[in-house]
Amino acid sequence: MPSPAAAIAWEFRRRHRWGLIAIIGYLLVLATIRLLILGPGQQVNFATTESFALRVVVPISVTFMYFLAVFSFGLAGDLAARQSMYPARMFTLPMTTAALAGWPMLYGTAAMAALWFATRFLAVWPADVDVPIIWPALLAASLLAWTQALTWMAYPLPGLRVVVTVVWLAMIDAIVVVALNYKASEVVMLAILAPHIPIAYLAARFAVGRARRGDVPDRRSMFAWFGRIADVLPRRPDNFSSPAQAQAWFEWRRYGRSLPALVGILLPFELSMLFVFKETPVIIFETLTGVLLTPPFMATFVAATVSKSNPYANDSYGMTPFQATRPLASVSLIAAKLKVTIWSTLAAWLLVLVAVPIALRFSGSVPVVIDWAHHLDTVVGTPRAIAIALLVFAALLATTWKQLVQGLYIGMAGRDWVVKASVFVALLVLSVIVPVGHWVTTNRRMFAALWDALPWIIAVLALLKTCAAAWIALRLHDSRLLSDRTLIIGAASWAASVFALYFLLAWIFPDLIVRHYLLANVAILAIPLARLSAAPLALVWNRHR
Amino acid sequence: MTVTEPLINVSNLTRRFGGRTALDSVNLSMPRGAVYGLVGANGAGKTTLIKHILGLLRAESGSVRVFGLDPVADPVGVLSRIGYLSEENDLPGWMCVDELIRYSRAFYPGWDDAYAEELRQTFALDPTAKIKNLSKGQKARAGLLIALAYRPELLLLDEPSSGLDPIVRRDILGAVIRTIADEGRTVLFSSHLLEEVEQVADHVTMISMGRIVLSAPLSEIKESHRVDGRVLSLDEIFVAKAAARADNI
Repeated sequence: MPSPAAAIAWEFRRRHRWGLIAIIGYLLVLATIRLLILGPGQQVNFATTESFALRVVVPISVTFMYFLAVFSFGLAGDLAARQSMYPARMFTLPMTTAALAGWPMLYGTAAMAALWFATRFLAVWPADVDVPIIWPALLAASLLAWTQALTWMAYPLPGLRVVVTVVWLAMIDAIVVVALNYKASEVVMLAILAPHIPIAYLAARFAVGRARRGDVPDRRSMFAWFGRIADVLPRRPDNFSSPAQAQAWFEWRRYGRSLPALVGILLPFELSMLFVFKETPVIIFETLTGVLLTPPFMATFVAATVSKSNPYANDSYGMTPFQATRPLASVSLIAAKLKVTIWSTLAAWLLVLVAVPIALRFSGSVPVVIDWAHHLDTVVGTPRAIAIALLVFAALLATTWKQLVQGLYIGMAGRDWVVKASVFVALLVLSVIVPVGHWVTTNRRMFAALWDALPWIIAVLALLKTCAAAWIALRLHDSRLLSDRTLIIGAASWAASVFALYFLLAWIFPDLIVRHYLLANVAILAIPLARLSAAPLALVWNRHR
Repeated sequence: MTVTEPLINVSNLTRRFGGRTALDSVNLSMPRGAVYGLVGANGAGKTTLIKHILGLLRAESGSVRVFGLDPVADPVGVLSRIGYLSEENDLPGWMCVDELIRYSRAFYPGWDDAYAEELRQTFALDPTAKIKNLSKGQKARAGLLIALAYRPELLLLDEPSSGLDPIVRRDILGAVIRTIADEGRTVLFSSHLLEEVEQVADHVTMISMGRIVLSAPLSEIKESHRVDGRVLSLDEIFVAKAAARADNI
C-alpha cells in the first residue's frame, strides 16, 4: 500500500467488492448491447417509457443510492445517532483532517461521475431524449458531497441528521428542478452546481475536525420534560411481578414510545391543514386520509427497531449476551415484543382518535364529515355504513400492528446476510413491480387477462400461506417451542378471525359484487399467520447458534 | 440431578467456524463446589466453550449438559441457575443502575435484595447513574452485581478482570470467588492472566487451539511440574503445553 490515499481506496474496494463487481457487470451488459448488438451510434425508440426505466433508470438510481451509502460510510453507522458517522478508528491515522475528509469525497465524486458517464455513453437512450452530458454527473457528485458532509457532522439531537440531510438534499433537487423547468442550458446548470462540491468539502472538513476532537454538541436536555411525560406511560412498577412483565417493560422502553411519539409529532402539522382549508372538502378528505394513514406509514420505520434483536450495536444483528442469557423462553421474548407492539399501536391510535375530533370541532370541518357519513348511510344503509367504518378502522389498526411485527422473523434471525438479502429482494421486487404494474394497467389485454386470473392468483397465494404456516407449525411442534395446547389455541384463534372477517366481508359485499370464495381467500391472506409464527423459530436460530 | 453428578459435563464437543476448528473434541467434567480457572491464549476457545455451556452456541457434535440439562433445549432451566458476567460489557446503556437491578430481579426467584444492596454499596454504584455513563470498571461491577445477587449455583465469569483495576481485581473478585466457593457453589472463570488464576482457582483447565491440554487441581499441577526441584509457575507450564500442542498440529 504505497500511500494513505491508496489505503483508503483499497478499503472501499475490498469492503464493497461484490457490489462494485455487480455494477461493473451491469455496465458491461449495457456496453455489449450498445456496441456489439446494436452498433455504435444507434438509437432506439422504446415502445414504452417503462421498459427504459426498467433497463436504465432503476439500476442507475439503485447504484446512486448505493454509492451514497458507501462513500459516506453510512452502511456501518447509526443514522439516528448524534455522533459523527465518520469511522472513529480512522481518526488516529497519521493523516491530516483535510485528507481524511478529502479522499473519500474525491473517490465518491469520481465514482458518481464515472457512473453517469458510463450510463450516458453505454446505455441505449430513447431517440427523442436530449441527454445532457456533464451536469447530471456534477449533480450526483454534489448530492454525495453534501451527504458526506452532513452525515459526518455531529448533531445536538438524535435523529436530527436525517431531517437536516433530507431537507438539504431536497432543496438542491428543488433548485435543479426549477432550473430545468425554465429550460436552463448545460452551462447554467454547471454554474448552479459547481460551487456545491468545494463548499461541501469545507463543511466536511469542519465536521471531521470536530468529530476528531470528540466534540459532540448536546441539546437533549431541551426535551427532558418530554421523556418525563413519556415515562408515565405506562408507569414503571417498583417491582415487576413476573419475568414477562419485566421483559415487556424492557421492550417498551426500547422502542414502544417511538410510534406514538412520531405520530404525535406529525399530527399537529397534518391537522393544521383543516384550519387552513376548512371550506375545501377535497383537502379535508385528503388531510383526514393522510392522518389515518400516518400510524401504519410511520410503523414501517419503527419496525426496523422492533425487529433488530441487538439495537445497541450498529454492525451486528445478533443478540447481545445480556439479552440471550436472560432466563426467559424464546417464545416469551417474542410474546413481549408482540404485547408491546400492541400497546404502541393502541397508544398511537389513541392520539389520532383524540386529536382528529378536536381538530374537526375547532376548525369547523365537522359538517363536511357529517355530510359524507350521511351519503354513505344513504347508499349502503345504516348497519352497513357502521360496519364499513368499523372495518376500515379495524383494518388500519391491524395494518399498523402488522407493519410493526411482520418483519420480526427477519430481524430475529440475527444474521447480517438474511437482513441484507431481504432488503435486496424487497428493492428488486419493487423495482420490477412498479414498472410492470404500470405496464399492466396501461395494457388493456394484459389487464383483462390478469383480472380474470385474479381469483386464481389469490387462491394460490392463500394456499402458499397456509402451506408455509403448516410447515412452521410442525417445526414449532418438533422443537417443543410451543405446547400442543398453545398451537391448537393459536390455530383456532386464527381460524376464528378468518371466519369472522369472511362473514363480515360477505355481509358488506353481496355475492353479485364480489364472489364469496374470493372473499374467503382475502380473509385468509389478511389475517397474519405464517411470518408471525416464524418469529420464535428465527429467534431460536439466533439465540442458540 | 444428584449431588455427586457433575455440574457441567461436556463430552466430545467440537465446533467449527468456517474452516477454523474452535473446539476440538473437548471433554470436561466439573463437580460442584470449587473454583475452576479456564486459561488459554486469546482465541484458544475459552469463550466458545463458555457460550456452549450457556447454550448461546449449539453443539455441532458431542454434547453439553449443565445441571444435567441441555442448555439449548431448556434455556430457562439452565440460565436461571447461572450467574454470568460477559467480557463484552453489553449491559443496556439506557438503563439506570436501579432499573437494571429491578429488571434483573424479576427473572430470579432467589434474588436477595439485601445482598444486592450490599453489593451496590460495596461497588460504589450510584442507583440513579445511567449505565452508558459508567466507566468500564463500573460497568463490570454492575454486571457482577446482577450476576451475584441471586446467589447462583454456578457463576460463569468470562475474562472478569477486563476493565477492572488491580485493586478492584484483587479485593472484589477474589472475595467474591472465595465466598461463593465457600458456600458450596461453583465458579468457572476464564482468563489469560495466569497469575490471577493461580491466586483463586482450585482447579485449572488449560485450553490451547481448541483442545484441553491440561485439566487438574492446581496443587496437583504444581506438584507434577517441577524442574530441578523448582515448582514451575502456571505461566511456564502453560507456555510448555501450548508449544507441545502447536508441535502436534
